[in-house]
Amino acid sequence: MNNSLLDSRRPSSEPESRVSAPQRHAKPFNLTRWVGATLVIFWLLVAIFGPMLAPHPVGALVADKIYSGASAAFPLGTDYLGRDMLSRILTGARYTVGLALIAALLSSLIGASLGMLAALAPRWLDESVSRLNDALISIPSKMLALVMVSAFGASIPLLILTAVISYAPGAFRISRSLAANIATLEYVQVARTRGEGKLYIAAVEVLPNMFHPVLTDMGMRFVFIVLLLSGMSFLGLGVQPPMADLGSLVRENIGGLSQGALAVIGPALAIGTLTIGANLLIDSLSANRGQQGE
Amino acid sequence: MNNSIFKIVLGRLSSGVSTLLIVSLVIFAITALLPGDAAQQILGQFATPEQVAALRIQLGLDQPAPLRYLSWLGGLLSGDLGQSVSNAMPVSELMAGRLPNSLLLAGITTVIAVPIALLLGIASAMCRDRLLDRILNVCTLSMVAVPEFLVATLAVLIFAVHLGWLPALSYVSTVEGVGDFIRIYAMPVLTLCAVLVAQMARMTRAAIINQLDSPYIEMARLKGIGPLRRVLNHALPNALGPIANAVALSLSYLLGGVIIVETIFNYPGIAGLMVDAVANRDLALVQACAMLFCAAYLVLVLIADLCAILSNPRLRHQ
Amino acid sequence: MTNKKNPPNILSESEQSARIHEAMRRGMSRRDALKTFGVAGLFAASTGGLLGSSLGYASEGTSGTPKRGGRIRVAAHAASTSDTLDPAKGSTAIDYARHEMFYNGLTEFDERLIPQPSLAEHFVTSDGGTTWLFTLRRGVTFHDGKPLSAADVVFSIARHKDPDTGSKAMSLATQIADVKALGSQQVQITLNSPNIELPAILAVSHMKIVPEGTVDFSKGIGTGPFRCQEFSPGVRSIGVRNDNYWREGRPYLDEIEMVGISDEPSRVNALLSGDVQLINAVYGRSAERIELSTGHAVKSVNSGNYTDLVMRVDQEPTSRPAFVEAMKYLFDREQIKWAVFRNYAEIANDHPIAPSNPYFFADLPQRPYDPDRARHLLKQAGVEGARLPVVASPAADGSEDIAVLLQQSAQQAGLNLTINRVPSDGYWSNHWMKHPLGFGNINPRPTANILLSQFFQSSAPWNESGWKNEQFDQLLTLSRAEPDQAVRKQMYADMQTLIHEHCGIGIPVFINTIDGRDKRLKGYDRTIPLGGFMGYTFAEHVWWDDA
Repeated sequence: MNNSLLDSRRPSSEPESRVSAPQRHAKPFNLTRWVGATLVIFWLLVAIFGPMLAPHPVGALVADKIYSGASAAFPLGTDYLGRDMLSRILTGARYTVGLALIAALLSSLIGASLGMLAALAPRWLDESVSRLNDALISIPSKMLALVMVSAFGASIPLLILTAVISYAPGAFRISRSLAANIATLEYVQVARTRGEGKLYIAAVEVLPNMFHPVLTDMGMRFVFIVLLLSGMSFLGLGVQPPMADLGSLVRENIGGLSQGALAVIGPALAIGTLTIGANLLIDSLSANRGQQGE
Repeated sequence: MNNSIFKIVLGRLSSGVSTLLIVSLVIFAITALLPGDAAQQILGQFATPEQVAALRIQLGLDQPAPLRYLSWLGGLLSGDLGQSVSNAMPVSELMAGRLPNSLLLAGITTVIAVPIALLLGIASAMCRDRLLDRILNVCTLSMVAVPEFLVATLAVLIFAVHLGWLPALSYVSTVEGVGDFIRIYAMPVLTLCAVLVAQMARMTRAAIINQLDSPYIEMARLKGIGPLRRVLNHALPNALGPIANAVALSLSYLLGGVIIVETIFNYPGIAGLMVDAVANRDLALVQACAMLFCAAYLVLVLIADLCAILSNPRLRHQ
Repeated sequence: MTNKKNPPNILSESEQSARIHEAMRRGMSRRDALKTFGVAGLFAASTGGLLGSSLGYASEGTSGTPKRGGRIRVAAHAASTSDTLDPAKGSTAIDYARHEMFYNGLTEFDERLIPQPSLAEHFVTSDGGTTWLFTLRRGVTFHDGKPLSAADVVFSIARHKDPDTGSKAMSLATQIADVKALGSQQVQITLNSPNIELPAILAVSHMKIVPEGTVDFSKGIGTGPFRCQEFSPGVRSIGVRNDNYWREGRPYLDEIEMVGISDEPSRVNALLSGDVQLINAVYGRSAERIELSTGHAVKSVNSGNYTDLVMRVDQEPTSRPAFVEAMKYLFDREQIKWAVFRNYAEIANDHPIAPSNPYFFADLPQRPYDPDRARHLLKQAGVEGARLPVVASPAADGSEDIAVLLQQSAQQAGLNLTINRVPSDGYWSNHWMKHPLGFGNINPRPTANILLSQFFQSSAPWNESGWKNEQFDQLLTLSRAEPDQAVRKQMYADMQTLIHEHCGIGIPVFINTIDGRDKRLKGYDRTIPLGGFMGYTFAEHVWWDDA
């Protein structure tokens, strides 16, 4: 899970041109995008306003029945202690959306900038950064999370840091390959012979051409970080109680699965719609720009 | 051509050694940051200070950290992975007991997941933006989006508890015959496939579509070559490099990343071994596992690159 | 069956010291004690009673006639590469259960936790608990064929005193001054000070007897009912019936395989799907699920396991008595019992002696849930409206959920608790007893004296809150040498009151240990209140009945 889908372009394997192809599948109305955008906006709104809308305090025992089904008082049922699931999801979404969004953005930002610099930097620097990167990629992310939380305790910044250390190397890999590919293309060579500085080349010639693959990659990274958070809850790590991110909500109520409890289904659906929405939106944006169709 | 492949392999081997060295340093550094040490972990909640002191000396934990690292490294160079401090068994013996299980699970999953992923990816790419593609897209995304432990637990509830078709636990030691083998591996492999097929299929689709957009495919289309041949004979060989890389990365996950599947199905693999090792502050064992994961990752990526080179005529003649 | 009758465990009345009489004057009457016990007290032997009869080996209750044969698979809640067959190092349920399969102790506990003869055929103290003589059972052999001798016992007991052994029972063993063999069948143990509970200490699983000079414990060579056929730490172990077992007719099963499944829902699923026939550490929520299955049953025992709030006296603001008292009033014990443990728990009263313990002081008034009173006390302590972190961890059973409920009730009293959950990894060495406000978890101890000595005596290394009370320490020391049951009982009542009122720990409930089993597994009706798996001893007592 540590690995991006797109960690694949190595210059040695794909020297062929990456010039944009004409877009042949433009559509007047893009359903995918609308579905994606709606879901994303919905979850962003929940993340911002959810805690205010929660009918009950997130930690309060309000029901005398656990794992109950939908009712007027508890539209999404109750959890393993008898707390209101709707309130818990409304509050928990902020953690999942916020943490995953920040961590995915940071991973891609750090990975992409380092990747681009490595591709343009002298060989020794490129080599050493790449080696370190390989080393980090090969450490399983859940193991890293386990060690980090044991060593430093579970705080929000630490969770983000852990996710970034786990996922920035993947972003680095794809960005470096993309940048190295682009750097061999004619127009970059032309700029070089023109005597343009490295920073100029990076910012003006290389960056715009890697934007979409990096964006797509970020979409998958977002999903993986959401899943890493839920995987961490499996190992007993993660957001501090009484709060819980969506993955932890699934995890803590897993005992209710045998009776088909809403307490499991609700947060699982929430994760699904959030991640699918985010990726549909990104997919459609990339496709529309007609870049590389990823 | 053989010469260039030889060169690549040699180059990778030398850079691989430095990567492994970095991994060992990183692992050593972060495990040194962990609170508590092996002596405390072994003696547990109710240890007395003199016991902890005695055990530290016994285990050599009273030595300064850099010295311990160097002595571990020295041992490694002479082929000795060291001893597990938590049960005094040689690390190599512990690993030997688990590694075949992990490799077997990874192998079966690979054999099943890769063809399915390729098939789905290719089908999706060929029907790009049509209904099938969209359905497959949402399906694969949903599969990625469900937490692994939920897939696994749900599978156990349905197939083991309610239907009683499959065992809830995967006992590798009791395999008798092919039927038994299938029953035992069905659910862990299913769970892992759910995670991996989606990832790999999405990548395959992206790589092929990327090729379908290039001018030479356009040329082939104009020449009147049918869509199936265009994809299989022209796009796929060129897309094999990125696909092989994506597959390699997904597969490297199958050794170290499957802790949840190992836990739920009680499968004695190498990921669980490393989690135990971290919990016990069993440094030699942690290091050995990390080395193994890193080596596996490097080998897989190397194989993927070789695949790419062999499949691509232009690269072959470079 | 083969238990021979014991000679009296000599504690002559004439040897009772003046101290004891003094304690008796302030204590409860003998009549009260007898009424409460309904039986002849914990140390029946001291009045010449027969120990052998109470073990109940001859009949197995309502389960019918034992059958021979069959194999079962058992899943415990944890297994790791640190699993060990060295009895001295046992630390988890799966270790203890294996040690009970492969080894025997000099003594063993019965259902009332009274130590009964096992490898020691009888034991006697001649001077009120300082010098003890253990006579070994004849004709017992280890799994490798070597006969049991006094030298093995000396080795097995003495090794606990050596820090290099890494024994989990070292703190108990420090009171042993000397162990020596008198001939091949007798062992003499001398203590630093009298302790009439030595037979109970020798019954704990760490004190099991291994062959003299054992260095490699991975073969599990002992005298126990099963022989170790396979042992892979963290994976599984297989024990096969020891046909030469000294207790005739035992055990019944041919083979027991033990594995660990750390994920509770998976453990329950494995039981319900028939992959395993016995599991431990079931949550209250899942117990209902197991009961609903026609082929399965749960066994729930309250052994006095507790998760407690630790308030350190050496840190602020937990050093303030009013604050400590306020926190104790903030436990909504009924709610904790219901919500966290699904009623598989018993209300506790901020002292560690469980209702099942013979020394439980029932007349101590129960501390209620009273946020108003707590608010008042918090004001008095000067921490009204404060914001305080409380440390919880999955390592201390249920502590995260208890913390959440405590947080809710603290709000009512105007105290803002923030929960700091830390991983179970490294919890005991790095967090436990290190924060002003945190949680601990104490497993059942075989005797009240061991419990109080280890966790409440001023000098105890695991005195969780750092509580120091001279009166308590004196009572504890006196009680060890006190042969009169009634006097002892009163001493324990006083100690419970002291802890209830002054000590910096809050104990909301005693948590039941719940096992789940296949109903075809019979003979599972003994209750040894030490933990799950019938106090870890199930292997010797259960049989498989397919009919």
